[in-house]
Amino acid sequence: MSSRKIRVLMSKPGIDGHWRGGIVVSRAIRDAGMELIFGGFQNAKQIVEAAIQEDVDVLGLSIHSGAHFAYTKQVIDLLKEKGVFNDILILVGGVIPAQDFPKLKEMGVANIYGPGSMTNDIVEFIKTHLKK
Amino acid sequence: MFDKKILENIRIEKEKWEEKLKESKERDVKFVTDSEIPIKRLYTPLDVKGDYLDTINFPGQEPFTRGVYPTMYRGRLWTMRLFSGHGTPEETNLRWKYLYENGETGFSAAVDALTFNGIDPTNPDGAPEVGTSGVPLYCIDSLFALTEDIPIDKISVALVVEPFTCAPVCAMYFNMAKMRGYELKNLMGTTQNDILTMTVGYIPYKNSPPNHLLRVACDFIEWTVAQKNVPLWHPINFTGYNYREGGIDAIQELGFVFASACSHIDNLIERGWKADDFVGRLAFHLAAHKDFFEEIAKYRAARRIWHKLMKDKYEVKNPKNLGFRFHVQTAGSSLTAQLPMINIVRTAIQGLEANLGGCQSLHTNSYDEAICLPSEEAALVALRTQQVVADETRITNTIDPLAGSYYVEWLTDEVEERVWKYMDKIQKVGSIDKALSTGWLYKEMRDAFHKRRVRIEKGEEIMLGINKYQVPYDTVTDVFRTSQTAIDIEVNRINKLKARRDNAKLEKILDKLRSVCEKEENVMPIIMEATKEGATVGEICDIYREIWGIWEPPLAI
Repeated sequence: MSSRKIRVLMSKPGIDGHWRGGIVVSRAIRDAGMELIFGGFQNAKQIVEAAIQEDVDVLGLSIHSGAHFAYTKQVIDLLKEKGVFNDILILVGGVIPAQDFPKLKEMGVANIYGPGSMTNDIVEFIKTHLKK
Repeated sequence: MFDKKILENIRIEKEKWEEKLKESKERDVKFVTDSEIPIKRLYTPLDVKGDYLDTINFPGQEPFTRGVYPTMYRGRLWTMRLFSGHGTPEETNLRWKYLYENGETGFSAAVDALTFNGIDPTNPDGAPEVGTSGVPLYCIDSLFALTEDIPIDKISVALVVEPFTCAPVCAMYFNMAKMRGYELKNLMGTTQNDILTMTVGYIPYKNSPPNHLLRVACDFIEWTVAQKNVPLWHPINFTGYNYREGGIDAIQELGFVFASACSHIDNLIERGWKADDFVGRLAFHLAAHKDFFEEIAKYRAARRIWHKLMKDKYEVKNPKNLGFRFHVQTAGSSLTAQLPMINIVRTAIQGLEANLGGCQSLHTNSYDEAICLPSEEAALVALRTQQVVADETRITNTIDPLAGSYYVEWLTDEVEERVWKYMDKIQKVGSIDKALSTGWLYKEMRDAFHKRRVRIEKGEEIMLGINKYQVPYDTVTDVFRTSQTAIDIEVNRINKLKARRDNAKLEKILDKLRSVCEKEENVMPIIMEATKEGATVGEICDIYREIWGIWEPPLAI
């Protein structure tokens, strides 16, 4: 085990401004002793660039607009293209219907956090599921 | 309010009663309101301060504690106005007509994230979000489609757009109305135009800095109401609801809206207007949250605070301009995706709060809103929920039925006092645009997010299905999906418009807009011209961006 802190990038793909979820989870991640990089609004290219540059272990995508499939696909395709998909744990949170979880997981999302999720569950999942 | 001798007797008897209670146990919970006002076991005449005629009085009479109109719901019921929009203007038009046929009495357009931020669908930044969280209204043709076959001279329409896109979207609406033969001087409706919604309620995507947002918001108030171009319009709706949803409490909600309202009034006074020229058309949009009595006290206190502000601070002369008129929305953040049917009960109780508090207009949430935009069935249940209150409960028989409750009167006083103090705190930071640009409001929001999360995760704030009687997150309702073809339809709509319009003529008008923006003159007249000639919302907002720049909000984590 290295003593390096777990590094998490929290991004908001798209242009929808519902921001509470992303901030609440970011705060919980920081409070849990991880290194939090808050990307805010970023498109797929900016997200992947930041993930590589910051050498993150975890990428959180906060999506409340209903466009979770489109944005997640853009990001994962680009992560694969850049060859870093296998290094980064991808989590999606927001207003995501439970029916959509299987398809998102098939796409490569490790876990999804819908309405009513508890932040300690997210922190616990990160600690036990890191890819590298 | 009560005779001194009677009060003395009550005091003596109350002490005796409390003596007897010493052995009685109470549950081990904090008896506090949602905003953490400590609540006593019992309220009696000893708790009611003030003189009836001074602090409570009759409905329609100052300080309007009991309601802004003399007859309230005996004269006219509140407007049943559901916030609604999805997919395309055509689809939204069908939903609006469906709700209208089922008794809805006002419309409210929920726009998508692109319309909200002034981004055209041809811009890849937001393309996947066309129509996913509201109706796309990118050009004048969209407004025709939205209101087709709807008598907009008889039923009022609320356009929920914020300062950054208020002028182009509303100018499109006004031009459409004129082309359909309606006179602007008779047109009724509301624009949200609320600077805080698009800065702290949601975060803005490539909007301009707050000082410009404040100015364009005031341009709209000036052009519609003060200059009497659309005199019956409500040019702004201070929307405490949207930031309350983030987790701030009832006291902060009123503090935010009143501090913001004062900044707008000050701006217009600096332009040479008198408060009486426009304050009568300013409107408010508040939340109906989980604490039943605190919310009712909040509405009653709000009327009193506004009256005092208008009369003492702004020296408003016309009594009609002293009334606090407000729309209410039940609390979306109180709803759960788990056990969604329970949301119907939550919404019914919250709607009742709004009605007992004397609202002018009400949106009741749909039970599926924690998961998706409302399905037709869920929207109908939401509408029927307020119709049950209106038509079956007989709560409308008398005005302000909770007045005189020792608890409600005490709590109204308490809320009022705390709001004044909180407003002072905000105003010490400066005008509302300063409270934004310095990041002060973002820290308040951040603290509220955090506090609310801890309260829910510790179980101090109960949410059934989440932290008590937990059920796994498993959507049992059908999920309403917005149209997958919306993007193609909207791109096509814009392309057709661009092929039809006189681009050379429009370019000249847009150049004039550039110069108006540079000189910081009122943007409305030139944007009326531009949208009539087919300018899109994105094209106009791009000029704002070009001249005023793009603002990165100082978010706090």
